[in-house]
Amino acid sequence: MKRPLQVTLLVLSGLGLLHGSLFTDLYLRYVKQGMRPLLIGSGVLLLVLGAAEAWSWRTRHDGHEGHGDGHGHDGDGHVHDHSGVPKVAWLLFLPALSLLFYAPPALGAYTASREPAKAVTEQKQEDFDPLPTASPLPITLRDFTRRVQQDRSRAIDGRTLLMTGFVTPAEGGDGWDLTRIMLSCCAADAQSVKVRIHGVTAPPADTWVTVTGTWHTGGTLGTRSAQVALDARAVRKVARPANGYTDALPLAPS
Amino acid sequence: MQTTAEVAVADASAGDDVPVRGWPRYWPLLLLAAAALPGLALFTLGRWGDEPALRAWRTVCLAIVMQAMPFLLLGTALSGAINAFVPARVFSRVLPRRPALAVPVASAAGVVLPGCECASVPVANSLIGRGVTPAAAFAFLLSAPAVNPVVLTATAIAFPGSPAMVLARLLASLATAAVMGWLWLFLGREQWLKPAVRHTGHRPGHSRWTEFRQGFQHDFLHAGGFLVVGAMAAATFNVAVPRSVLDTFSGSPWLSVLFLAALAILLAVCSEADAFVAASLTGFSPLARLTFMVVGPMVDLKLIALQAGTFGRAFAARFSAATTVVAILCSTLIGGMLL
Repeated sequence: MKRPLQVTLLVLSGLGLLHGSLFTDLYLRYVKQGMRPLLIGSGVLLLVLGAAEAWSWRTRHDGHEGHGDGHGHDGDGHVHDHSGVPKVAWLLFLPALSLLFYAPPALGAYTASREPAKAVTEQKQEDFDPLPTASPLPITLRDFTRRVQQDRSRAIDGRTLLMTGFVTPAEGGDGWDLTRIMLSCCAADAQSVKVRIHGVTAPPADTWVTVTGTWHTGGTLGTRSAQVALDARAVRKVARPANGYTDALPLAPS
Repeated sequence: MQTTAEVAVADASAGDDVPVRGWPRYWPLLLLAAAALPGLALFTLGRWGDEPALRAWRTVCLAIVMQAMPFLLLGTALSGAINAFVPARVFSRVLPRRPALAVPVASAAGVVLPGCECASVPVANSLIGRGVTPAAAFAFLLSAPAVNPVVLTATAIAFPGSPAMVLARLLASLATAAVMGWLWLFLGREQWLKPAVRHTGHRPGHSRWTEFRQGFQHDFLHAGGFLVVGAMAAATFNVAVPRSVLDTFSGSPWLSVLFLAALAILLAVCSEADAFVAASLTGFSPLARLTFMVVGPMVDLKLIALQAGTFGRAFAARFSAATTVVAILCSTLIGGMLL
């Protein structure tokens, strides 16, 4: 790999990272929010490396032509070291260019439909606080799953609930899935939470919606046999949240 | 599409020779092809790249690269700094004279070289070139990418709330490195090794800063390229292999250990990022994931290629095969006790 190409590669990678983390929120499609400072630092570091390489290449060129002394020999040695950069380094152009010009979207219905729903953690009975009295009650998908399958006080029964997620067409059976994808580290370890929605025809896949409704009777509430499902009364399209990989509470209805 | 592209490449390479003897008569056609083909290829690629499966593939691929990038930069910068600012004689002075003692010390010394496996191969080579016994250098080569603070920190981040995993990774990697060093001492033959060619480290008459920058840049470009390969392989696996296949392997404890060991060799993820990949392999037992993280930094496709280039093919084949077996045994034993 020639030295000007190495400079281009370093600068493009740096710009790509800065574009994705500092100037836009693209990075939220791939990694967690806490990575932002590290990504910005990496982008700056790569730009500095690229600039240093360009500087040393230029000054060496000038010196080489100006003096033609023993410097030239050393320079040749360096060129040898650098041609040792294997061809595989070319592949680094792919993520850099992809971030700059062809950034893939966040994971959505395709990934969620191919994965079994994530098992929610067990919660102790006494940790189930009384539900707030608001109606409709905003609730996260994970909380809803826990309330339906683990809360033996059946506080969720008869309540009107409000949940936000994106649409995943269901493969078998009636209805569709309201879905959230969560990351433990980056998009490679995505796991999904799903709530089956009944009573309303499915909007197109990957649409972000807020659903209002009540628990869909099926199985015994408060046990594992209870269906994690909702009888929807209303479905409203909402904007995709900035950080889609969380199971945040829906905004209060306007 | 592919045949057209091949023809175009053939045309282009033929065209390279032609201008010496003057332009061919059909040069406008070549010019047209040169203008139209890349556009067409980009368009097709764009259409094809928007299929849901490919979009998911690109997302996962980019996610792994982004997640690993800061760690890769940190590792290669530190290894460049140690290479330029710490004289290699420090390593040979610290090591005991008796090779059998030098092996465990060298494998523990791996803790201080934060770098990924691509960085440790040239360092081990230069150590051998400066008179460190090969057994100790190999113990160092194996342990350094797996037990250094950067990798252990990444492991702790990837497995929040399970410090036993970090400890098990540390111990199993140290044990594997020491066992392999002793094995080399008793069974290894010098003639399997290609003579050391390139020496790294500070050379008199050169600016240390320039050496640092060049080492850093070289290691980063080198390792970064292999990182993209690893990310692509991992993303392919992530998107293409249905969960049910994983489940058949994850069901049986022994098969899952062997399966993830093989996967670590095939995926060739950088040791600074492999903990995150391991964390994503939900459904596998912690023991199998530990094996993935112990085997991965020591044996994988890109390492075998690097070792064959540096030490020779005869060495790489024997060394990698033995290391795989020892690593699986060590991680099973230590993981069985700790996890």
